[in-house]
Amino acid sequence: MVIPIETNGTIITTRGLNLWYGDCHTLVDITMAVLRNRVTALIGPSGCGKSTLIRCFNRLNDLVDICRIEGSVFLDGNDIYGPKTDVADVRKKVGMVFQKPNPFPKSVYENVAYGPRVHGVRDTGDLDRAVERSLRQAALWDEVKDRLHDPALGLSGGQQQRLCIARSLAVEPEILLMDEPCSALDPIATAKIENLIQDLKQRYTVVIVTHNMQQAARVSDSTGFMYLGRLIEFGETTQIFEKPRQELTENYITGRFG
Amino acid sequence: MHGSEPGCGKEVRREPSDCNPPPSAHTGGPVKGHPASFHRTAGERAIQGLLFLAAISSVVAVFFILFFLTRDAYQVFFSVGPVEFLLGGRWDPTGYPPEFGTSPLAAGTLLVTLGAILFAVPLSLGTAIFIAEIAPLRLRLLVKPAVELLAGIPSVVYGFFGLIVLTPWLGDVFRQPSGESWLAGSVLLGIMALPTIISVSEDAISAVPREFREGSLSLGATRWQTISRVVAPAALSGITAAVILGIGRAIGETMAILMVTGNSAIIPTPLWNVFSPIRTLTGTLGIEMGEVPFDSTHYHALFGVAVILLLITLAVNSTAVVILDRVRRSQTGVGARRREILSREVRARIRKAAGASGAVLALAAAFAIGGAPAAAALALLGGLAWAARDRLSPGATQALALVLVGLCVATVLLILGVILFDIISHGLPALTWDFLTQNPKDLGRAGGIYPAIVGTLYLVGGAIAFALPLGVGAAIYLVEYTRGGKAISLIRTGIDLLNGTPSIVFGLFGFAFLVLYLDWGVSLIAGQVTLGLMVLPTVIRTTEEALKSVPHSLREGSLALGATRWQTIRRVVLPPAMAGIVTGTILSIGRAAGETAPILFTAVVFSRRFLPASPFEPVMALPSHLFILATNVPGAETNTYGTALVLLLLVVGLYSVAILIRNHYRKTVRW
Repeated sequence: MVIPIETNGTIITTRGLNLWYGDCHTLVDITMAVLRNRVTALIGPSGCGKSTLIRCFNRLNDLVDICRIEGSVFLDGNDIYGPKTDVADVRKKVGMVFQKPNPFPKSVYENVAYGPRVHGVRDTGDLDRAVERSLRQAALWDEVKDRLHDPALGLSGGQQQRLCIARSLAVEPEILLMDEPCSALDPIATAKIENLIQDLKQRYTVVIVTHNMQQAARVSDSTGFMYLGRLIEFGETTQIFEKPRQELTENYITGRFG
Repeated sequence: MHGSEPGCGKEVRREPSDCNPPPSAHTGGPVKGHPASFHRTAGERAIQGLLFLAAISSVVAVFFILFFLTRDAYQVFFSVGPVEFLLGGRWDPTGYPPEFGTSPLAAGTLLVTLGAILFAVPLSLGTAIFIAEIAPLRLRLLVKPAVELLAGIPSVVYGFFGLIVLTPWLGDVFRQPSGESWLAGSVLLGIMALPTIISVSEDAISAVPREFREGSLSLGATRWQTISRVVAPAALSGITAAVILGIGRAIGETMAILMVTGNSAIIPTPLWNVFSPIRTLTGTLGIEMGEVPFDSTHYHALFGVAVILLLITLAVNSTAVVILDRVRRSQTGVGARRREILSREVRARIRKAAGASGAVLALAAAFAIGGAPAAAALALLGGLAWAARDRLSPGATQALALVLVGLCVATVLLILGVILFDIISHGLPALTWDFLTQNPKDLGRAGGIYPAIVGTLYLVGGAIAFALPLGVGAAIYLVEYTRGGKAISLIRTGIDLLNGTPSIVFGLFGFAFLVLYLDWGVSLIAGQVTLGLMVLPTVIRTTEEALKSVPHSLREGSLALGATRWQTIRRVVLPPAMAGIVTGTILSIGRAAGETAPILFTAVVFSRRFLPASPFEPVMALPSHLFILATNVPGAETNTYGTALVLLLLVVGLYSVAILIRNHYRKTVRW
């Protein structure tokens, strides 16, 4: 029914995406494209629909009973809301890091090994390698290599969040969605995660939701500004912050509301 | 409890010294010595004293129960001897010479409970997972009330169903001369334990934070992988507590078990012969207590049995309480940092051992019920599943698991449907106006059940009049006036112990203390007090929860305006908590109306033409009437079914009202 619309460089494309929670029209006609191996930031005041939008990219909104979606989201040219889609497969390609660190009540090792195990890896050697690789990529290995089998809930908040990133990386996703990943962290832990995002860009595509404009300016290549469920403006980060085309964007960036 | 009257000033001096008000309990007027504020302070303290008295009533009750049971039991250790009593292999109290060995009874209780748990745990877990994780809203709204309905069916109605439907059916299916057996007891007890295990484990599963599910799903895990690898392990302690509570319920059950197990005090030979009749500790009390000569060795031995029973159930229930307590603390983050005590390898080994023993137990059960072919079939299936474990795709595993869960739910619904259909279809023809308004004739074969209905209403009304002030007062004291401390944990322990006490033990206590010691005789009031003590923990707990659900900021708002503590409670806290308190009260009424064991020896007679003229006369009651019709009066089938239906309608009706109020309240009031 739908013609694949893979164009060079885009990995996620939405077309006329509308979403309702019950009677509340939360996303209105979102059409946008996320570029591969770039960091895309979504900014906007609380309740504007940023988190809801990225939760459409891995179909996590499916968990909400009263949620209704129209329009399409293409991942690598395939409509992830299409009838033949395997949701688990989509989520394997699109990892997610949440606002509050949410490690499972298991050991550090078991948290990272969970994804590979779920996708059928049983060989202990393979698991060990996947765990080490992911923890190294998340810049956590040196801090936890001596206590891999201690409970993950004993780590600090920043370490827990990097563990959650490592857990997502262990299933080798293409995209990493980050839903305000630093909002529960102190400035030092935040800096570590921001550096990490720059490294991750080499291999992955990152979409980050943040209410912190400086953070968006620091880490992202493209930025989208959302307001009341609409994507008001979307473009290069430098352009959005230096020469916004919309008055609303300018007002928000200059702190006149928000 | 109008503590603001001047006369109550006397109460102040009687206030017990260990009732130390918390640091912030300063509630009096601002100026000391001012007449109005002095008056206010005195009233406040009087009320606090009264509430404290209500709060320690549970501890006093537990103390009295223990005292009066041991007072009548200890002699058995001299006349029979502790070794013979605890380990003796024969229970034959009316033989010559009489024998008082309780080991076959304890074995019976153990085996029946084991079977019940094997039957109930898989069904309960499947249903709990279904309700908490899988069911769409509409199905959840069907299954949850069904489970609550199962909890509302009185145990004597279960027993009657077991006697008249289950045992003949089991006898037919397995070609046994009689279905009255260990198996029948286990199945029936298993059914009765279902609602406890389901609702507690469902709570545990629902309490697992949503973030865990999202974390797992966002990694591409299937729903079933998420449930089986993240949610269920996180809920494990809660589920364990649920199973232990189910065990406690099964061990303490009397009436149902007594009607279906055949009651021969023997240890099955061979030990796995599930078709053997069996007798439990509770069953022994239910059967023999009514006919035992007062102060004989047999009488003391029965109280000894009650003490054993009480100790077992208390141990089991306290374990569950401790586990649930730990769960609650770890969810608030206190226990989160604890290190694993056992190393990874040891835990893996324990897991393997547990899996292996579970498999062996399942095989043994299959062998006992279906013989060698059934065991072989199960082994084959298990082997296949084991071999296919790694080959099935996650999707296929999920499909298989969902089918199994669906089967569990269907079985639970089917059980409920069969019970309700049988009682209603056979009971309706008996349900005439005359049946409800006439006295019984011909030993209950003809005539009606009017005196039993009225008797039950009297009993329940009295029980609530006894339990409500005490229970609500205790709850207010615990929630509003205290913040921990030794006295409080003592009171809480008392309530927990009272809650775990089997109903037949209440019956024995009522008999020993109220009927004999206070010399009230078998009387309405003895039954009312016994039932009242039994439902007291329910009233306290539901009231506590209702009070706790009122946000703290409301209290602070009122106190900040200079209102006293009691004024705050009466005008700000109690009104919104009222719906919760009413719900708890109705649930207690339902529970009291359906109970047989506590009134059997304290309040009821089988046949009585006249309604009691004073509270010191005995009455008839629906549950005991049903019990006697079902077990002792042949040829009364229609009226038995009619009585069962009336009792069922009464109790289920009360439960439904309570559930409706609760749901309405949940929908309309949100903080």
